[in-house]
Amino acid sequence: MSSDYEYSDDEEYNEYDDDEEAMDVEDGSTSSEEDVEMDVYDDDIKVVSEARKAYEVDYRPLTHQQVKDLMVADIEYISTIFGVGSDVAALLLRHMDWNKDRLTEKYMDDAFSISIAAGISPVPKPSHSGPDRSKRVTRSSKSSKKIEQATISEPFLCPVCFDDTATDTLGLSCGHIFCTGCWAMYTVSKIRDEGEHRVLCMAENCGVVALNPFVHKVLSDDEDTCARYDELLVRNYVACNKNLKYCPFPSCDRSVSCPTASSRSALSTIVPTVSCGADPKHKFCFGCSIDGDHRPVLCVVARMWLKKCRDDSETANWIKSNTKECSKCQSTIEKNGGCNHMTCKKCKYEFCWVCMGPWAEHGTAWYSCNRYDDKSGVEARDAQSKSRASLERYLHYYNRWANHEQSAKLSVELYMKTEKKMEEMQLTTDLTWIEVQFMKKAVDIVENCRTTLKWTYAMAYYLENGNQKAMFEDNQRDLERAVEDLSELLEQPIESETIPVLRQKVTDKSVYVQKRNEILLEDTAKGYLEERWKWNVVVDDL
Amino acid sequence: MSDARLRRVNKEIADCKNDQSSNINIDLIDNSPFHLRGSFDGPQDTPYDGGHFEVDIVIPDSYPFQPVKMKFITKVYHPNVSSASGAICLDILKDAWSPVLTLKSTLISLQSLLCSPEPNDPQDAEVAKHYMTSRSSFEDTARYWTHVYAGGPAPSSAPGAAGKDITGLRDEVAIAGLEKVHVDQFEAIGFERSKVIDVLRRLNYRGSNVSKIPDDKVVEELLRA
Repeated sequence: MSSDYEYSDDEEYNEYDDDEEAMDVEDGSTSSEEDVEMDVYDDDIKVVSEARKAYEVDYRPLTHQQVKDLMVADIEYISTIFGVGSDVAALLLRHMDWNKDRLTEKYMDDAFSISIAAGISPVPKPSHSGPDRSKRVTRSSKSSKKIEQATISEPFLCPVCFDDTATDTLGLSCGHIFCTGCWAMYTVSKIRDEGEHRVLCMAENCGVVALNPFVHKVLSDDEDTCARYDELLVRNYVACNKNLKYCPFPSCDRSVSCPTASSRSALSTIVPTVSCGADPKHKFCFGCSIDGDHRPVLCVVARMWLKKCRDDSETANWIKSNTKECSKCQSTIEKNGGCNHMTCKKCKYEFCWVCMGPWAEHGTAWYSCNRYDDKSGVEARDAQSKSRASLERYLHYYNRWANHEQSAKLSVELYMKTEKKMEEMQLTTDLTWIEVQFMKKAVDIVENCRTTLKWTYAMAYYLENGNQKAMFEDNQRDLERAVEDLSELLEQPIESETIPVLRQKVTDKSVYVQKRNEILLEDTAKGYLEERWKWNVVVDDL
Repeated sequence: MSDARLRRVNKEIADCKNDQSSNINIDLIDNSPFHLRGSFDGPQDTPYDGGHFEVDIVIPDSYPFQPVKMKFITKVYHPNVSSASGAICLDILKDAWSPVLTLKSTLISLQSLLCSPEPNDPQDAEVAKHYMTSRSSFEDTARYWTHVYAGGPAPSSAPGAAGKDITGLRDEVAIAGLEKVHVDQFEAIGFERSKVIDVLRRLNYRGSNVSKIPDDKVVEELLRA
């Protein structure tokens, strides 16, 4: 299927007809209602999902177990190459964010230091210097001496709970011993409260990390936390693997592998809408965190639009005043105390809460956090007046967007109504259950197309004025008109004598709407590849 | 669960009471042992010498596996302590916390933080700027704050017009770490005194910076404020 430039009737666009392989879309628009036979209808619907279109991407849905298997395979691979136990291999991989190649390279280079960095072996004794800011902490090192003493002198006093009656003690390879109860509480707190899969030794400045069997042993009485730990490990694996993404729907543990959309640059040409396969509703975008289908709009543009739309709402105000996004991984962060030196929980990026700049630069130039930056003040005021001027324009697109969003929300109702009508039809006519399914299919199509339409308004808002935009809007208009026609048909009351006509009409219209939707998606997808779309804002690759 | 926490906190409080050498005190604020007030003396040979500093301590439910929450009750002029809220920027109160650390050892760490500020990891950027621009002027102000808020001795070499506060009135100019001459100069133009102090503090109008900031710039800021 190719682009539909021919469809734009205006004379001025005719020049494009020569460039593009023109298709007789026009025929479809005017005569499909009469042409398309009832029997063809079903086939047509199926064809849509068979061949891969320009606006679709290759992906593979994975179950939780399949992801686990992938993870185990990676661990086994490293374990065999390095000749280490699988637990050690797992920890090494976690340390290197599951990058097998980089790990292999580094390990071959200097196995000893990477083992220390990963927290497998303790830092050798003579080099006692801890991390950079150890100076401030050294005063309190008395307690660590206590631990060393405790291991020697007989009546063991746990340095954490000060209990001298505890008989069960445990320690990691660093030799710091604590009572089992404290280990359990500490591990639970790490896993439950912090959601941390990296359980460090409890001693001060000790970087040794507990291996999986140790954590499992400590948590032997607490199956829930144990399961949570295993889940955190898998989540870490998925988070580090660019080709994998979790299905964002609540309590869905499936993920999707989509290597074509793993690089950020790919997202400037494709909109990777994928589905985890658990439920047809579990459709999401692989490239960004918007749950649902936001075709035909690119992730960046979609996010810009959503952010803009949310700017007014109360929640947005709260988020705006209480949270910021990590400038590296875009996780939303709420600061609930402490100083401005932030460390992103997810990607460990260190930044300044005030200016959002990297913390490292603040070592010498934290003046950039001056609260009264003249320049940004002026810029803020400028931006404000501009936004007022463009408010009108924005509202035009927003109202249409919101309208489709609202209609989509009401679709549940429409489904119920349609269900009733279908029952009615079966009762009043001799149509069978299978024969009245055309109604439900039509509702599906309307809902689907409304999603597309909704996003086309976001797209149009950001498209630069010109021929390309005019053609885009033509496509949009055609789809919209067709969708509204079909909607109207579906809302019509059922009268037994007109049912055959209605059925014919609905079926024809469904096919047409479907086609218009496809044309629009296809054309925009191709436009991305041909870099045909010009934006009126700066759209960088994420 | 909470048994171990209570036992540990009680023992820590008792240990602290028994240990007279460290000069660290921990008292109950209300009847709960999980909301405490720690206090210690300012370290010697620092601008905080002679002051007595109080810290608000909240012990979270998952203590000692999660760090205690501490903030200064006493106002402190220090790059790593918020001059407004008393919030503290110290690694062991965040990521570097370890369950073997105790209330006492943490308070000692706070004490040593007063000895060795880390202006490159500031909690209060304005104070840190002051520290970096003019160490002696910063120390004067820190000393003045110690005197005013922490009960330290009256500074012998009064910064600005600090000598005048026999009346008990706090000298806003000295608290902001500014020179009285500078404030008077702009007040004479006709700006409100509090506004002048605010703007000059923001501009870090201190030490060698004074010559770098033209009067026009200050007036411009004042008009905008």
